[in-house]
Amino acid sequence: MSGTPTVRCRRLTVAYGPRTALADVDVEARPGEFLALAGPNGSGKTTLLRALLGFVPVASGSAEVLGSPVASLSVRERARRIAWVPQEEIPRDDVPLLEYVLYGRYAHLRPLERESEADRRAARAAADEVGLGDRLADGVLSLSGGEKQRAVLARALVQEAPILLLDEPTAHLDIGHQLDLFERVRRLARRQSVTVVAAVHDLNLAARFADRIVVLARGRKVADGPPTDVLSPELLERVWGVVAVLRREPRSGVPYLVPFRPGPAPPPVGTLGPGPIHVVGGGGAASPVLRALVDAGYRVTAGVLNLLDTDQETARELGVPTVVEAPFAPISEEARAANREFLGRARAIVVAPFPTGHSNVGNLEAILPYVGPVPVWLLARGPAEGWDFTGGAGARALEALRRAGATEVGTVPDLLRECAARLASPPVAPA
Amino acid sequence: MGDPTAPLEAPPPVARRRRWWPAVALAAVLAAALLFSPLVGNVTIPPEIVLRILLQHLSGGALFASPCAGYSVSPTLCTAYNEIVWEARLPEVLLALGAGAALGASGASLQGVFRNPLADPFLLGISSGGTVGAAFVFVFQVDVPQQDLVLPLFAFLGSLATGAVILLAARSRFGSVETLLLTGVALSSFLSSVLSLLLLLNPTGSLQVDFWLLGNIGSGTWPVDGIVLGTVLITGTLLALQGRELNLLQLGNDVAQSLGVDARRVRMRLILLTSLTTAVAVAFTGVIGFVGLVSPHIVRRLFGTDYRLVVPGSAIIGGAFLLGARDLSLWVFPSSVLPIGIFTAFAGAPFFAYLLYRRRAGAPMGGG
Repeated sequence: MSGTPTVRCRRLTVAYGPRTALADVDVEARPGEFLALAGPNGSGKTTLLRALLGFVPVASGSAEVLGSPVASLSVRERARRIAWVPQEEIPRDDVPLLEYVLYGRYAHLRPLERESEADRRAARAAADEVGLGDRLADGVLSLSGGEKQRAVLARALVQEAPILLLDEPTAHLDIGHQLDLFERVRRLARRQSVTVVAAVHDLNLAARFADRIVVLARGRKVADGPPTDVLSPELLERVWGVVAVLRREPRSGVPYLVPFRPGPAPPPVGTLGPGPIHVVGGGGAASPVLRALVDAGYRVTAGVLNLLDTDQETARELGVPTVVEAPFAPISEEARAANREFLGRARAIVVAPFPTGHSNVGNLEAILPYVGPVPVWLLARGPAEGWDFTGGAGARALEALRRAGATEVGTVPDLLRECAARLASPPVAPA
Repeated sequence: MGDPTAPLEAPPPVARRRRWWPAVALAAVLAAALLFSPLVGNVTIPPEIVLRILLQHLSGGALFASPCAGYSVSPTLCTAYNEIVWEARLPEVLLALGAGAALGASGASLQGVFRNPLADPFLLGISSGGTVGAAFVFVFQVDVPQQDLVLPLFAFLGSLATGAVILLAARSRFGSVETLLLTGVALSSFLSSVLSLLLLLNPTGSLQVDFWLLGNIGSGTWPVDGIVLGTVLITGTLLALQGRELNLLQLGNDVAQSLGVDARRVRMRLILLTSLTTAVAVAFTGVIGFVGLVSPHIVRRLFGTDYRLVVPGSAIIGGAFLLGARDLSLWVFPSSVLPIGIFTAFAGAPFFAYLLYRRRAGAPMGGG
């Protein structure tokens, strides 16, 4: 991860006709370094890679590999310096995997020269490296999506180029294959001192594997540094327009962002008027409430829900703005704060009969200050043994809400009647 | 289904196809077509005598004093047989072989360059250029002593001029293969309108143009065979040597380029070579359809999609296909000179439709 940069862009500008795709971008990467290019769609990640590959002309500035401008190199010379893994390659012909991997040797062969035994050994080793060593005789069309991408990676490996460019190589892969591919690429960068530059649209994936992240937005560089410096909720909001909570993986300290997108901006706290109804739930208990309220035309918010929770998924489907916490994690202070903001903007609060454990009892406790200023409805629950798994804290919190003036409603239709009666203004928009 | 924690087993590897059998099969097809075709003709000649005539010439007269010795054939008839086989049938057979090989190799290369299974030597308008060139001769009644030479020359120049236009388009840095293909289609239409205009000016050439458009291998003579076979041998070899590049181009221009193939240069080289090859064939035979289109598909079906084999294989299958069409036309209509293009299309069109529908129903048809 030291030494002179193998990839160097200086004030690189690329234009497609009148549209500037990349403007004045400075990027460097060194041997053994895994550099991630992040940014929303259309930010110029792919264009930067294509400029390095010589696929698009440089309008001004420079794109250099191993000290030479890309444009000055022959196609063959480029292929010896740079290997490329595209987003998705769709082979037309059912070429045996061994042949397919051997295509990577093309730039090393003289015209009409046949692949040598050494070339074949390299191809077999590369196939082993990506875990396809036992599929060499199979046609590439018989490979699965993840295997196909690994086959392309193997072909890139036998190019033996000091630079490896990847263009969102896992965009079409599931999470397991994404992690697998990036893990292999990172190992390769370390072991063979290959410079890796990868366009990655998943910031968390980038933070997990990259040594450095360059963030592009609208063709400009907006951040450049190690993941711990670059990742921040502010960046995510500024570049992607997404509100998120920053967490750290406990063991590795790798930062990751838990995003949630706010709905149309609610009115400022304290102003009267038709604010949203905030629903507290979890474990699927709030799903019928969320559907009924959204169907009736109310604006609805929800929180705090764990990612992948049934209620969280319902909320996402319905487009309900939700404060989200990492899966199975206790509610963090960041999420609490975001939830308080939602509670403060609500014109009514509904508490679904969700099972209460240590991780989410805070959701009940957080409501107390708002009972009184806005109506709080508690959907009927059975005896505490059925839902309270905190050894009493849940039941106590619920009792406190009742004493403060929260009203119990029996069923979801009862709730809708209460809403119609108590909330002065009619639903903001018919469903 | 057993223990869920057990590692999933991959299916056993498929046995690798032996590499020599395509070459042997192609050589056998070629030999069979070459041996059989001289036996077919308007005059029935005993097969043994045909064979002996061929052997006698090939051995430089060393093998037999007379090819008919030992058979009840008069010396006059024997001389006639010799004339028919060696001076009429064989040149025609070799022209069919050369033209078929030219069209087959060109078709395979163009399908590879354009990554399009419908590409063939005529799609780019090269034949239309040849037709316009030939029409000039017919319409303006160009009358020179070497009439036999003028027609091929004009047709050749017409084809080559069209190829040059396509090549200019291919030089453009940003033209995609689709653009290039559409350029060819547009050029083809344009040339067709020029042809119509020429015929409007002088309708007397119309019948000759019609005949020319259906293809004809009757112009085969030894010098013609020399030109056609010589060209095909050279350009066909050069085309076949681009097999590896064609294989890589199938992955798309960008990927091929990232692997070291200068896609634009390879494309230009192949268009130049196929134009030349097609122009030579068209000059002497007129327009013979379907050979260039169908031969590569047959080869891919039989031997797989590796262009290192598809290009030379298509040359051989194309040659054999055209010979077969010649034999068929002579067998069905023994006493008339029938344009061979009728028979290639007659056999080729249904086969082509079959390929198309099979493709839709089953596995993807590779390569094209």
